[in-house]
Parts: sequence; structure tokens; C-alpha cells
Amino acid sequence: MGCSESEGQLARTVVKLFLALKLQKNGLVHSSTLIAHPYRIDSLDWIVLLVPPGPLGSRWSAMLRSALPFVFQFPHRKPPPIRPRPPPVRRYASPPAAAGSVPPPLPPSSAYVHLPFCRKRCHYCDFPIVALGSSSPSPRGEAEDPRIADYVRLLLREVAATRAVSDDGVPLETIFFGGGTPSLVPPRLVAAVLDALRGKFGLSACPEVSIEMDPGTFDAAKLRELVGVGVNRVSLGVQAFQEDLLRACGRAHGLAEVREAVGIVTGCEGLQNWSMDLISSLPNQTEEMWEESLRCTIDARPTHVSVYDLQIEQGTKFGQMYTPGVYPLPNETDSANFYKMASKRLSEAGYKHYEISSYCRTGYECKHNLTYWQNRPFYAFGLGSASYINGVRFSRPRRMKEYADWVQKLEDGTWCHESITSEMKDMAMDSVMLSLRTAWGLDLHSFSKSYGKNLTLSLCSMFRPFVESGLVIAMDAERQALHPSEFELELDSENKGETGSRVAFIRLSDPDGFLLSNELISLAFGIISP
Amino acid sequence: MAGAAALRRAARRVIRPLVNASAPSRTLVQPERLLSSQASPEHRGRAIVSGSELGLYPPERIRNFSIIAHVDHGKSTLADRLLELTGTIQKGHGQPQYLDKLQVERERGITVKAQTATMFYRNTVETSESHGTDSPSYLLNLIDTPGHVDFSYEVSRSLAACQGALLVVDAAQGVQAQTIANFYLAFESNLSIIPVINKIDQPTADPDNVKAQLKRLFDIDPSEALLTSAKTGQGLSQVLPAVIDRIPCPPGSCDLPVRMLLLDSYYDEYKGVICHVAVVDGAMRKGDKISSAATGRTYEVFDVGIMHPELTPTGVLYTGQVGYVITGMRSTKEARIGDTLHQAKSIVEPLPGFKPVRHMVFSGVYPADGSDFDALSHAIEKLTCNDASVSVTKETSTALGMGFRCGFLGLLHMDVFHQRLEQEYGAQVISTIPTVPYIFEYGDESKVQVENPAALASNTAKRVTACWEPTVIATILIPSEYVGPVIMLCSERRGEQLEYTFIDAQRALLKYRIPLREIIVDFYNELKSITSGYATFDYEDSEYQKSDLVKMDILLNGQPVDAMATIIHNQKAQKVGRELVDKLKKFIERQMFEITIQAAIGSKIIARETLSAMRKNVLAKCYGGDITRKKKLLEKQKEGKKRMKRVGSVDIPQEAFHELLKVSNSK
Ligand SMILES: Nc1nc2c(ncn2[C@@H]2O[C@H](COP(=O)(O)OP(=O)(O)OP(=O)(O)O)[C@@H](O)[C@H]2O)c(=O)[nH]1
Ligand SMILES: [Mg+2]
Repeated sequence: MGCSESEGQLARTVVKLFLALKLQKNGLVHSSTLIAHPYRIDSLDWIVLLVPPGPLGSRWSAMLRSALPFVFQFPHRKPPPIRPRPPPVRRYASPPAAAGSVPPPLPPSSAYVHLPFCRKRCHYCDFPIVALGSSSPSPRGEAEDPRIADYVRLLLREVAATRAVSDDGVPLETIFFGGGTPSLVPPRLVAAVLDALRGKFGLSACPEVSIEMDPGTFDAAKLRELVGVGVNRVSLGVQAFQEDLLRACGRAHGLAEVREAVGIVTGCEGLQNWSMDLISSLPNQTEEMWEESLRCTIDARPTHVSVYDLQIEQGTKFGQMYTPGVYPLPNETDSANFYKMASKRLSEAGYKHYEISSYCRTGYECKHNLTYWQNRPFYAFGLGSASYINGVRFSRPRRMKEYADWVQKLEDGTWCHESITSEMKDMAMDSVMLSLRTAWGLDLHSFSKSYGKNLTLSLCSMFRPFVESGLVIAMDAERQALHPSEFELELDSENKGETGSRVAFIRLSDPDGFLLSNELISLAFGIISP
Repeated sequence: MAGAAALRRAARRVIRPLVNASAPSRTLVQPERLLSSQASPEHRGRAIVSGSELGLYPPERIRNFSIIAHVDHGKSTLADRLLELTGTIQKGHGQPQYLDKLQVERERGITVKAQTATMFYRNTVETSESHGTDSPSYLLNLIDTPGHVDFSYEVSRSLAACQGALLVVDAAQGVQAQTIANFYLAFESNLSIIPVINKIDQPTADPDNVKAQLKRLFDIDPSEALLTSAKTGQGLSQVLPAVIDRIPCPPGSCDLPVRMLLLDSYYDEYKGVICHVAVVDGAMRKGDKISSAATGRTYEVFDVGIMHPELTPTGVLYTGQVGYVITGMRSTKEARIGDTLHQAKSIVEPLPGFKPVRHMVFSGVYPADGSDFDALSHAIEKLTCNDASVSVTKETSTALGMGFRCGFLGLLHMDVFHQRLEQEYGAQVISTIPTVPYIFEYGDESKVQVENPAALASNTAKRVTACWEPTVIATILIPSEYVGPVIMLCSERRGEQLEYTFIDAQRALLKYRIPLREIIVDFYNELKSITSGYATFDYEDSEYQKSDLVKMDILLNGQPVDAMATIIHNQKAQKVGRELVDKLKKFIERQMFEITIQAAIGSKIIARETLSAMRKNVLAKCYGGDITRKKKLLEKQKEGKKRMKRVGSVDIPQEAFHELLKVSNSK
């Protein structure tokens, strides 16, 4: 071999970057698209931005960043909306006789990493977490809890024992550290995980690396350190801007910590992309409180906002204390109102409501979460985490002991992904369920190609009354909303093109359709799997 | 298969010579001697009874009787004791109320279907006919009957096979409504009636008062009454001697060609159609050819025997005996109850038969899950093989799809039918509001019987000139202090008083003519609640009367739901319409759009409610990409929707239909 492997990769990257930039200059590809949505360039699938592993890679990213600042920083005035990568099923648009077969899976380019540690369990939480308790080390993490390092060791073993799906090195484009409270984990351990992932799968030129952080668990130095090891997106779990509500939720922090955390995040150099997480419909939450939380959020100017509607889960403290819809929880009308308020206020402040519970400034969609909504594969590592590889969804054990045993088996090679491939209708359901969560909606052409014209038409006629009532919006290929009467017309005329109509997309309206998404999606399920 | 065939051949070898030997010489044989030498009186139990043994019982040695009573007065328990006493079943073995075989019967503790059992009994008590120790043995056919008014058809059918009846009366409760009804059924059939005052072990038993009631109501001599406790066994030994003594033997002639009454039929998975018959004249043997008077079809007798108490092959049935016969009949439709079966190629006078069943209540029966029509169809066909008293025709509803219009004897009968469909055939059903058969007369003088309100056009092109509704004569027995409220209730239900008497110092008897529609759903419950449970109630059908009837539609978002239409008296429409609309509002879940619920007569809306649109049903994000739980949730929701019935765009939960049944009657 004439050059080392990393040199070879480097050369490829350069060539591809040049090509991509040329395309961008010629107006073929928008620069923001190139960076924020590399998969936007459908026809140019082969352009994959590769960054060699190791320090060379980091250097390259840094170089690129300084060389092409506009690419990284300038959001464009009218960028195209988020468009999912073409579905993996394209090539097997085979006759319906082949129904039941599953598309050749794409290799994952996303990884979720679960860091389960929390100081204590919040009253609404039913995630697999490990509560460190009050005896745990200080939030700034000088003396770290040995359980964390032990766990990260286990995690690294899992990464090492995992086989990459593709051999020709499809690198990771997104990594998400979720929890738990990942910000409790010392940055060097986060770096260790990142290194392991990089070594195993490779990282793209500018991967999105998100981490969830809770107020009161980090200081400026810690955040800087995290950014230094590659983290470039923070999801700040604020949840509420009222002392009483924070306490009632069992949060381990107060309002002062919230303000401090917002200050640290906004003041951190090299970190442009951060999300504020809020919860609506908390017990005793009033309209005024919610208004206040929204205002404070907007004032903090995050690039992204996640608004979760409180869900009362069995087995949680809230589950024992409250019944959904019953005081002190808001009733259905009030809680619908909270949702609408968020949609209105955040939209007015320039945020796009791009998914049921997600808002962002233009170009700042959470790429990692888009992976889920676009039904694309992803790796997952750690306690209780769920992966989607080779068409198979798998959830790891939720208990530490069992998880450790499982990792052992993985290493011993005595565990393998069951090769039960999911059925066609399951895939269709996943596709509908996930895409209808997004503002982009369901792409009828590709759905039709994958699952047949008849099913697509049945779905459309099921949605027809809701198009009329405004819960569902039909759009043409240019994403222009169609008038309900046009939708009728299109559906009635059988002898039109592939899907029989100009209707190219279907999405749920904001906020009314989103608010009833469960109803609408389960109706669609009834069509797919009667 | 081969084994079974071999067994059958072996059995034939054993039985045939006996049958052949005994049959021609039947009248020559001395029954007493043969019996004592061949089989002891204790031979019953599971043992096969041979045809030659049956031959020992000429009509003079046969008694056929029914046990009749008001609900729960102890018929089935008394039957148990008599079966034990004769060794037909073993004491302490099997369940109490042995003859209540259906799961419904066991669960509800009531008898629904009449059951026959043959017993052999040697009379050891001195009677006028036989003396001393060497008393002859008798063949007794006992028929246990249901007490509930809905099943009085079963009683009258059973009585046709009998010459006498035990009229059981609870010593504490005394004569009740069905006691009266059943007494008259037996009396009109010219049966000998033996009054049995049962449950005398109860602390509140007052047999003397019961005797007085019997005297007053039925002119029964108090000395005729037997006092028993089916629980302790007290007084039981007098029962069968009284049966032998007081009930005449069956009247038929042994020398005529065989002629028998078809009492009942049911379908058995393995054996095919099994007919219960009472042989009136002649004898029937295995291999004989018999014909149906109704259809003219001829069949070969494959198997014949008695119920002892289970099917016991004998190869033959003689004059006056009651038993079963299995022929090549393929479906119970060929086995018409009340039909006369007779020797093929002979011309016989058909037996009187029974008056046809009259269906009082009609209701649509639909698969709860729309796709299960075939399964339901199959289940109904099977079940009606065993319950010929249900009438079934196919119908279609826009709301519920394909289903059946079924005619029932009453609401309990309907309930039992549904329960049996579910328990015995696993069919889940939705039933529409029960209705009675109305008659509508039009300007052109045509008359139509309407069993399904939906079939009646809401805005009739043809002018309705008159409507007729069926009525019943209701008999109500109550402690006298409740007379006031009961009269109130009856007049609210548009009743017309026919009789008001006292049967003893404390109890009154009321007779009313009441529109059937007014009593079918909740009348009895209401009656019980205003009389602290003391009232008893019975009715018999009576003629149609002219009435001011209207069809009431239920509309959801302006669209009529055919399965919810009712025909109702004009004066009650407003009230019932309101109740139906309120009930629906409560049971229809909010949907993604507003729903208006209306009750209308023609184009006039008489009640209206609005159900506001659902506002929110949304899930937080798929955390960490774990979509499986959320997907399960949505799939569950999908399944929930599937169980609902859709009218237009409105999903109606099945409970809504069930709930409507409860209000459908005017209060
Ligand atoms: N104390 C007492 N209870 C009795 C006696 N005979 C029957 N019972 C009880 O009365 C209840 C009704 O008895 P059944 O034999 O089922 O009555 P039935 O007349 O067959 O009832 P239906 O077939 O439903 O009309 C049961 O709980 C019996 O145990 C008796 O002589 N004394
Ligand atoms: Mg009984």
C-alpha cells in the first residue's frame, strides 16, 4: 500500500469535500444543507463526509471549521425544510408478491449512549437510571463515584464487542449521550466513550454530538472540557422556571441552578447548539406559570426547545399520586391549551415546530432524533438502551446486573441479534408512526413504492375527513398545501400517476393534528394492520 | 374406528337375540318373575337396560309425569331425590339439580330446558292396586320443567307427554304467579295433579296456609297435598306411591302401528339429531322405518333407548314409554317439535301436537367483531338445533353489518341465548334494542308485521292508518300492602285492570291487560323493587290492540343509526328519547370531532345532546429511540377502535349498545 489507511481516508475526504463545495458553489447544493442535512443531497448519496479517526480527525474538523466558517455558522434565510434521507427501501420496490421481504438494511450512522446516573430519581421518571444518592460526590465531580467509572468500563466493553454493520466504514454522523444525567459523568470518561466509538465506527467530519445536562451538575470548566472532547450540542433539562414546580417534580436542582446553567451554556465558547427541555402539564401548573416558562425559554435564546407533555407512568411516584386529567394535574382542555400556547409562543419567537415535541431555529434540528423519526438504523450502548440494527429493534436489559451479564455474553459471542426480521406491515407502521410525528410528514411516493399503492390510497381515504376538518394537511411535491377539495379530487381520479394523485405528502397540522396524533396514527395502524 | 365397529358388532350380538326373543312373547311373560330373575331392582345406574327389560313394562306399569312449580320452589331438587330414591343416580354423586345440565342453568341456578329421566321403581307401600310384599315394578318417566315464565312453552310441551303432574309449592312462599299459570296449563291438559307442598323444613313454612290457598284457588282438597322437604328427605317416600296411585297410565294401544309424539330434539356432535319421543301406540325397534307426518320423510331407526338418566340404548320403546330415537336426520329442522312420527307406509291420524311457539321479543344479534359473521352464523345454527324456540332470520344493518333477527320467548330467554352463544360457542355478540312484533296498517289496507323497527320507513310514503301492538294478560301476586304502588305501576305501563282478588288474608291477586312492550324489559325488576321482592308475576299472550305508535330514530351527526331505532308509544317518545340520548352521550367516547346525538320522530328532533371533540391525545417523544412501547400503546388503541362499531365516522363502543338495552323500555 502506498499510503497509510488514515492518509487514504483523508484523501477521500478531501476529494469529497471539494466536490461537495463545488456543487454548493454552483448552487446545486445549499451549504447549510450540506452541513445541517448532509443526507439532503439525495442524488449524491455517495458523498459521505469522512473524517479519519484519532487526533488527525479532530485536527481536520478544526481546520475545516476555521477554513469554512460560513458553512458552520450561517443559517440561510430560506433553507429547504428538513427532508428525510430517501428511505432505505428504494431498490426493493418489488411487486407486492414480495411483501414480507425486508429491504437490505443501511448501516447505522447514529449511536445512542445511555449514561444512567442521576443524583436522585425525578417523580415522573421511569427510565432505567441509577440514583447515586445524596452521599454522591459534589456536582462538580472532583471525587467521582466509582460506580460511574465501573459502568463506563462496561460500556466500553460493549462498544468493543459490537460488530460494525458495514466493513467499508460508514462513520457516525450523530452521537447522543442520554440518561440519566450524563453531565454527572466526568468529561474524560465521556471522551473515552467517544474515542471508542470513533475507533470502532469512525466519525464524520462534523458529527453532531449531543449530551443531556442538568442544572447544578456542571460548571463552565466542565462544559468547556466536554466541548473540548467533541461535544457540540447540549440538551439542558430545565423542565420548569418555578421553584415550586421543580420541587414538586423531585428535581435535584432549583431555579438558581437553572439560571446559572443557562448562563454557563450561553457563555460557552464553541457551543452554538443547545436545547432547552421543558415539561408541560405538571401538577398545579397554571397557565401563568407556563407562560412564564415559555418567556424565560425564549429569552435564553436556545437553538432548540423540547416541550414534553407530562406522562404519568405506572410505577413512578407521580403514578401513585396522580390520575391523568384529574386535579392537581390539568384536565384535557387545559393541557391541550398548554400545548397550543407553546406552539404559538415559540413559533412567534421564530422557532419551527418540526416535530410533535420539538422546536428549533432554522437549521438546528436535532439530527440524532431525526434518525429515529426517519426510521433509520442506529446503534445503542448502555443499560436499557434500544438499538435498531439490520432491521431489528433490540432493548438491552434495564438492570445493571443483567446488563453486565449480557455484555459478557456479547463478548463471549454467545449472544447474537436474533435474526427475526420484522414484517412488512410492522415496517409500514413504524414508518407512519414516526414520520407523522414530524412536520415533514409522510412521503407518499416513497411509502407507496415500499408498501404499495393500494395501502397508500387506503391511508389517504382514511385521512380524507381529517383533511377536511384540518387535522391533516395534504401537500403536493412542492410542499404546497392542497385544499381539501383538491385532495378529494385527486383521490377520486384513479388514473393518475403512481399514487394516483398530486398529493405527495401528508402531515398532521400544528397544533390540532399534532395534539391528536395518537388517534390519527392508531387509525392509520388500523388500515395497515386491520 | 375399527375398534368401535367391533364393539358395536359385539353389542348387537348380545342384544339382538334378547330383543328377538322377548318382543313377540312380550305379553306372555310375567314381568315380576322375569325381573327378579334377570335383574334386581338395583340394576340401574350405568348398566345397559335391555329391550327385554323394557318389555316388562306394559302401559299399566308406566307412569309419565311432570314436575311443575313457580321458580325456585324446588322442582329440580325434588327430581334429584326421586332419581336417588330409585337408584337412577347415586346419592351424593354428581352435582345437585342433576338434570340442569347446561352451564347457563348451573350458573343461574334455574332450569331452562325440560329434561326427561326414566326410573324403575318397585312400589313397597300399599296401594289400592297392589298389596303386600310382592308389589310390581313400575317404569316412571319424570320430566323436570323450568319455572320461569319465558319457558312456559317447555312446560306445555312436557305436559303433552304426561298424564299427571306434581304441582310443587314452596311451603313458606305459598302459591305464586307461575304456580297459577302452570296449574292451569296442567288442568287444561286434563292431567291428574298431585299437590306437593315442599320445603316444609323451613322455619317459616306454613303448609296449612298453602293448603288453604290451593283449596281456594284451585279447589284442591287439602287432604290431597303431600308434605315434603326435598332437602331433608322428609315425606319423600309418599311421592312415588302417589304418582302410581293417582296418575293414570298412558292410554295408547299396543296393537296399533307405532305412533309417537316428537317432544324435543337436539343435535349431538357425534350422534347427530337426537329426538325425544313419547310412544303413544305400538312399539319402535331399532332398524324400523318411521315417517314424519309433517314432512312425509322416512327414516331408519339407528338407535333407540331411554334417558336413564343419560342416553341408554334399549333397542326398543314400547307403548306409553318415553325415550329417544336417533335416525338419519341431518338437521333438527327436520325434527319438528310436536310432529307425529309413525310407522312408515302406514296411514295414521297425526297427534294433536302443540300450539306453535309465539315469539314475544325480537332483537338483532350481530357479531361484536364485524368480521366474525361466519362464526356467529355457525354458532347460531348449532345452538338453534338445541333451542328450537328461537326464530332466526338474516338481516343487515348499516351500523352493524350482517347479522340475524331473532325471536325469543322473553327477555330471560334472550339473555340465556346470548349467554349460551358465548359460553358454548365462543361467539361475542351485540344485541339491538329488543322490540315486540307490531302490526302496521296502511291506507291501501295492507298490514305488515314489524319485527325490526329499522325496517319501518321513518317518513312513510304510504300513510299508516292504524298501528297494533301485542298485549299480555299479566297475573301479579303480592302481599296486600303493596297493592297501591303496584296499581300505580300498572297504570303507568298503560295496563287495564281485569281482576283484583285476595287469595288469602294477606295476599292479593291482580290481573291486568298490559301492552307487551311495557313489560319486556324492566317491569319485573321494577315490580320486585317496589314490593321488596315479594311480588311474583306471570303473563300469557293476548290479543293485539290499537295503539298510537311512532318510530323513533337515533341520529349521530345527522345520520340515523338503524340498529338503534325503536317503535314506541307516542306519549313515551319524549321521555325515552331523552334517556337514550343521555345514555349515548355517556357511553360514546369523545372523538376527533364534535358529535351531535339526536332522537327524532320523522323529521322532528325530540332530544339532542352534543359531545365535544377530543382535544388531546399525544405522546411525548420516543426517548432514546425506544419506539416499541409507544408502538404497543398505539396498537392497543387501534385494537380498541376495532372493537367499536362505526356509523358514518362515529365510533360507537359496544357497551353503548348494551346500555341501550337497559333504557329501551319506557319507565
Ligand atoms: N330448605 C329447603 N330448600 C330447598 C328445598 N328444595 C329445594 N330447595 C332449595 O331451593 C332452591 C331452588 O331449588 P331448585 O330445585 O333449583 O328449584 P326449581 O324449582 O327447579 O327452580 P327453577 O327450575 O329455576 O324454576 C335451591 O337452592 C334448593 O337447594 C327444600 O325442601 N327445603
Ligand atoms: Mg329447576
